[in-house]
Amino acid sequence: MTRRQLLTGLASLAVATVVFILPFLFVLINAAKTPAEASQPSFAWPSEWHLWSNLVEVVQVRDYALLLAYFNSIVITVGAMTLLVIFAAMVGYVLQRRPTRFSKFVEFTALAGLMIPPAVVPTIWVLQQVNLFKTIHGMILIQVAYGLSFCILLFRAFISSIPRDLDEAAIVDGATPLQVFFRVILPLLKPVTLTVIVVQSITIFNDFTHPLYYLPGAENITVQLTLYNFQSQFTSQLNLLFMNILLITIPPLLVFVFFNRQIVAGMTSGAVKG
Amino acid sequence: MARVALNALRKSFGAVEVIKGVDLDVEDGEFCVFVGPSGCGKSTLLRMISGLEEVTSGTIEIGGADVTRAEPSKRGIAMVFQSYALYPHLTVRENMGFGLSLARMPKDQIAAEVDKVAAILQLEPLLDRKPKALSGGQRQRVAIGRAIVRDPGVFLFDEPLSNLDAALRSQMRLELTDLHARLGATMIYVTHDQVEAMTMADKIVVLNAGRIEQVGTPMDLYERPATPFVAGFIGSPKMNLFEGEVARRMGASVYGIRPEHLKVSDDDGTWQGTVRHVERLGADTILHVEVPDLGPVLARIEGHRTYAHGARVYLTPDPEREFRYQDGAAAS
Amino acid sequence: MRAKSPYPYWFFLPAAVIFVGLFLVPTVASFYFSLTYWDPFEARFAGWDNYVQFFSEPFLVRGTLNTLMFAFVTSLLKTVLGLLLAVLLTSGMFAQGFLRSVVFFPVLVSTIGVGILFQELMHPTQGAINVGLEAIGIDGPGWLTNPSLALFSVALVDVWRGVGLATLIYIAGLSTIAPDYYEAARIDGATRWQLFWRVTVPLVRPATTTVVILSLIGGLRLFDLVWAMTRGGPGFSSDVLASVIYKQYQAGFWGLSTAGNVILFLLIALIVAPLAWWLNRKELDA
Repeated sequence: MTRRQLLTGLASLAVATVVFILPFLFVLINAAKTPAEASQPSFAWPSEWHLWSNLVEVVQVRDYALLLAYFNSIVITVGAMTLLVIFAAMVGYVLQRRPTRFSKFVEFTALAGLMIPPAVVPTIWVLQQVNLFKTIHGMILIQVAYGLSFCILLFRAFISSIPRDLDEAAIVDGATPLQVFFRVILPLLKPVTLTVIVVQSITIFNDFTHPLYYLPGAENITVQLTLYNFQSQFTSQLNLLFMNILLITIPPLLVFVFFNRQIVAGMTSGAVKG
Repeated sequence: MARVALNALRKSFGAVEVIKGVDLDVEDGEFCVFVGPSGCGKSTLLRMISGLEEVTSGTIEIGGADVTRAEPSKRGIAMVFQSYALYPHLTVRENMGFGLSLARMPKDQIAAEVDKVAAILQLEPLLDRKPKALSGGQRQRVAIGRAIVRDPGVFLFDEPLSNLDAALRSQMRLELTDLHARLGATMIYVTHDQVEAMTMADKIVVLNAGRIEQVGTPMDLYERPATPFVAGFIGSPKMNLFEGEVARRMGASVYGIRPEHLKVSDDDGTWQGTVRHVERLGADTILHVEVPDLGPVLARIEGHRTYAHGARVYLTPDPEREFRYQDGAAAS
Repeated sequence: MRAKSPYPYWFFLPAAVIFVGLFLVPTVASFYFSLTYWDPFEARFAGWDNYVQFFSEPFLVRGTLNTLMFAFVTSLLKTVLGLLLAVLLTSGMFAQGFLRSVVFFPVLVSTIGVGILFQELMHPTQGAINVGLEAIGIDGPGWLTNPSLALFSVALVDVWRGVGLATLIYIAGLSTIAPDYYEAARIDGATRWQLFWRVTVPLVRPATTTVVILSLIGGLRLFDLVWAMTRGGPGFSSDVLASVIYKQYQAGFWGLSTAGNVILFLLIALIVAPLAWWLNRKELDA
C-alpha cells in the first residue's frame, strides 16, 4: 500500500465516520439515556446506560405491540419468501428453457412489473372483493406479487448457467417436468436462492408503505409500523423512540454481517448486463 | 437387445429442414457411428431417436415397437451426453441410481444394481464422491455407468469423448469397444471425428446436410467411398480431390486420389511439382506439393524420406486406387 | 400433433394468478377508477374531472412538480456521487472493504427509521446537525421547517440512504473493465483525469444505465421517506405524487387518489421507458 493510499484511506475514514457512522452512534447513545437526558438528543454520553430497561419498556408499549409486530413481520416475510422462491424459480426456469414468443411476452410483463407503481386503491378494492384486505395472508400475497418480477429475472439469469443436458439426462431417466424441476434444477439454484432470500426478505421486512395501505389495524401491526405509530406517543420519551429505531435496525445489520456476499450479488445483478 | 429402424425420418425447425428423409437400419448388437461435419444433423438425428427432439414426419422403431411419439424414458434407451450431464448435487451413487429411484425401485435393489455396474467400470472407490471431485475420465465413466444401470436395449452416445485429452480419448475408445463386446447391446455413437468412427464402428453412417451420404463398414467407406463428400471426409490426411477442367481430363466431374496412393519420385512420374511444405509426423511424412494445373496436392511418404522445401518431385497415382465421380456418384 | 414440452407453460400459473390478480388487474382497473368519483361506498363516472383537478389545484400541481424535481435531483446526485465513491473505493486504499460496507449499510436500514432519525437530527434548534453547525459558527437553516428547503432536505437524506446502492453497482461495473485498457492508456501518456473521462466513464456505461434507471424509478415512486420526515409539509411544500395519493386515499377521495396513481404510472412510463431505450441503444453503438 502506498503512502497515498493510506492517506486517502484515513481521510475517507474520517469523512465516512461523520457522515455514515455518527448517525447510527447517535441512535445508540440516545437509546441508552433516561427520558430527561434524551429530551434534547445529543452526542453527549449518557450519565447512566439504560439500554436494557429502555428495551424492556419499548417492548411493553401498548401491550407488547412490538413483539406482535415482530411476529407478524416474520410470518409475512417467511410466508412470502417461500412462495416467491418456488413460484419465481418455476417461471424463470420455463422462461429460460423455452424461448418462445409467449415467453418473451411473459418476460416483458415481468420487466414492466419492476417499473409500474402499484395502483394502491384499486388493489384495496380487489383485496376487499376476495376478503383478503386487512389479513396477513393477503399481505403475504401482495408481497409475492410485488417481489415476483425481481426474483424471476434473477432466477432466469442464473438458470441460463445450468446446462440443458442435465434436464435432458433426467428426462431420459424418466423424470416428469415436475421431477426435473424439483429434483434436478431447484437443488442447483441454491446460490441464487440464497441471494433472492436475503435481498427480498430485507425488502419485505423493511416495507412500510404497503402494510400501511393494506394491513391497517392494531392486531396486524408490522415492525416498520411500530415506529410510525409510536412516534406521537414518544415525543416526551425520545429515548424509547431511539431504542425502537435501534431494534428495527438490528435485523438487517445481522443479515448484512452474515450475507454480505449474497446481498452484493443480488443488488448488482443488473449492473453488468443492462 | 434391440434393433433400431428409421423410416423416412424428417425434422424441421420452423421453415428450416435439418433432417431430410433418413432411412436406416441398425442391427441388434451393432456399434453404429454417425459421423459428419458440424451442422450435418447427426446430433439432431440421435436426439430424435432418444425422444428429446420431436419427429416432424417418418417413424422410429426400437426393438420392433413404434416409438416415434413415445416418451424418452419409454423407449428402452440410455444416453451419454457430451458434457456427461452428471447431476452436480448428487453423489456418483445417486447419479447412477437416479433413473431407478424415479421408477420407485426399492433402495436396496437400487444399491445392488449400482454396485454391480460400478464393479464393471471400477467405480467402487468413487461412489460417494460428487462429480466435482472427479477427473474428466472418471466423469466419463460415471456417465457410462449411469447409462448401463438403466439396462437399455440401445445406448446413445453424443460426442462423448470430445471433452477429453488425446491420450485419454484413445484409451476410452478401447474401453468403449470392450464394453460393447461385453454388453452386446446396440450402440449408436455420434462424432465429428472420423478417426473415432473408423476405429470403433461396425457400421458407419456418413451424414451431410441432413441426408445419409453412405452407410457401410469402415473399410467399405475407405475403399469404396460412394460420393466425393465421403471420399473427402473419411481418411487422414484428406483425399486429394480435383474438379473442373483437371477432372474432366481424367474422365470424370470429380477425380480423387489419396495421399498414401501417390508414388513420389525424384526423376519421373505423371505430374511434376514443387515441394511447398514438409510435415514430419515421425512414421510418415506429408508433402505439400504445388503442381501446375492441379494446384496443391498432398502426398504421404515414409518417415525417413525427406525433401527440401522447393525441391522438384514427380507424383504418380496408383491406377488401382483412383476414384472418379460423375454427377456426385461413383463412375465406373 | 405436438408432443408435450418438458417445460410446460403451467409452471407460470401459480405466479401468474398472484401477479395478474393483485398487480395487473388493479393497474388496469386504475384507468377506469381514475375517471370516477369514487369513495368507500360507490364509484360514479366523472369523466376527466379528477385529471382536471390534478392539473388545476395548486397543491396537486405542486406535488407533481415536486416529484419530478425530487427524482431528478436524487438521481443526479446518486449517479455522480456513486461513481466517484466507486472509483475511490476501488483504488486500493486503506480500509477499503470496511468503507464499502459503511457506505452500503444505510441501503438496508428501514427507511422509516432513517426518516425519523433525520427528522430528529434536522430539528431546527435542538437537532444535532444545527447544534454542530452552531459550534463552528454557522447558523443552520430550518431543514424541514423552511418550505423552500424541506423537499431538498428529504432529497439529501434519500441520497444519503441510497448512494450506497449506486456505489455498489458502479463497483461491480468497474470490476468488469479489464486493466489492459488503463495500462494501454497510461502507456499512451494519459493523465489520471483523462483516464477517468476517456476510459472509466465510457466503459462503465452499463452500470450508469442501471443506476440512472433504478434511481429515477425509486425517486418518482418515493413515499416512505417523505412521509416519515415531513408528511408533505410544511403546508404542501414537500408533497410528492405518492404522498398525495396516500392523503387523498385517507381523505376518502379514492378517484382522485387513483388519478394520481395513473399520472405517476404515466410519468414513469414516459420518462423511464424512452430513457432506458436510449441508454441501451447508446450502449450497443459503443
